[in-house]
Amino acid sequence: MPTSVPPNSSQALAIASSALHAQQTRMRVIAENIANADSTSQTPGGDPYRRQIPVFTPTQVTKGATGVKMNGIAADTAPFRQEFNPQHPAADSKGYVKMPNVEPLVEALDMKEAQRAYDANLNVIETQRAMASRTLDIIRK
Amino acid sequence: MPLEDIVTFQVLKAKLDYTNARQKVIAQNVANADTPNYVPSDLRTFSFEVAMKQAANTGLGGAVIAGPSRPVTMVRTNPGHMSAPKTAAGDWRADVKPDSEARLDGNQVVLEDEMAKMTETRLDQEAAITFYQQSLTLLRTAAKAPGK
Repeated sequence: MPTSVPPNSSQALAIASSALHAQQTRMRVIAENIANADSTSQTPGGDPYRRQIPVFTPTQVTKGATGVKMNGIAADTAPFRQEFNPQHPAADSKGYVKMPNVEPLVEALDMKEAQRAYDANLNVIETQRAMASRTLDIIRK
Repeated sequence: MPLEDIVTFQVLKAKLDYTNARQKVIAQNVANADTPNYVPSDLRTFSFEVAMKQAANTGLGGAVIAGPSRPVTMVRTNPGHMSAPKTAAGDWRADVKPDSEARLDGNQVVLEDEMAKMTETRLDQEAAITFYQQSLTLLRTAAKAPGK
């Protein structure tokens, strides 16, 4: 009889909390993107801040349970915007400054999605807690 | 006589194990709602008839419809030893069962479907627990001294 597999109730909690952690890390990436939406390069003609995309992978949290983990950050390969601003320190020979490829609207929608996923996982934890509490009611009465 | 010998309690315990296992599978689906190429899974429907049959004949193996798989009993070397409960702690089979939509990145989890499944599991568990409690009350009433 396998003794190392934890009961289903604690597995569900471990899975949901791994997802909460992943969504929080996603929020951090979104916050970095929004904060750096106007960060240009220091050198003339150099590359500015490049938008980051979180990468989620299914990971085993406990034996027999697949949660999720934010395994890394990929760079968004979308091209940079070009702004004409010859006085800018980062302007190249033609007077164009490369601006980051961050769209505030896309980030705001990403944030909404992260919040929705976070709420869903909180819901799972709450239901699990309610089920465990209800099970204990058997001996309470 | 252990409680598990009464078929009602065996079946209810199997149902409670089932709801617990299903909750875990749903938690997995919700946690992976953003993972590319993830397809949600679910357990097959719990069948009371199959569970009752298996509780009555403890030697039978797993059925096509979800029920407790081959029950594990401990070997007793001395008649005075207690034996393990007759139903196994569920090896419920999880099948890959996609939800109603698929997205561009290959992810097929629909949060609304998962929430509905979770509510259904919760209600199932409530019903099983209430039934369990009532059966215990019945036993207690039967065990009371007459006239009390």
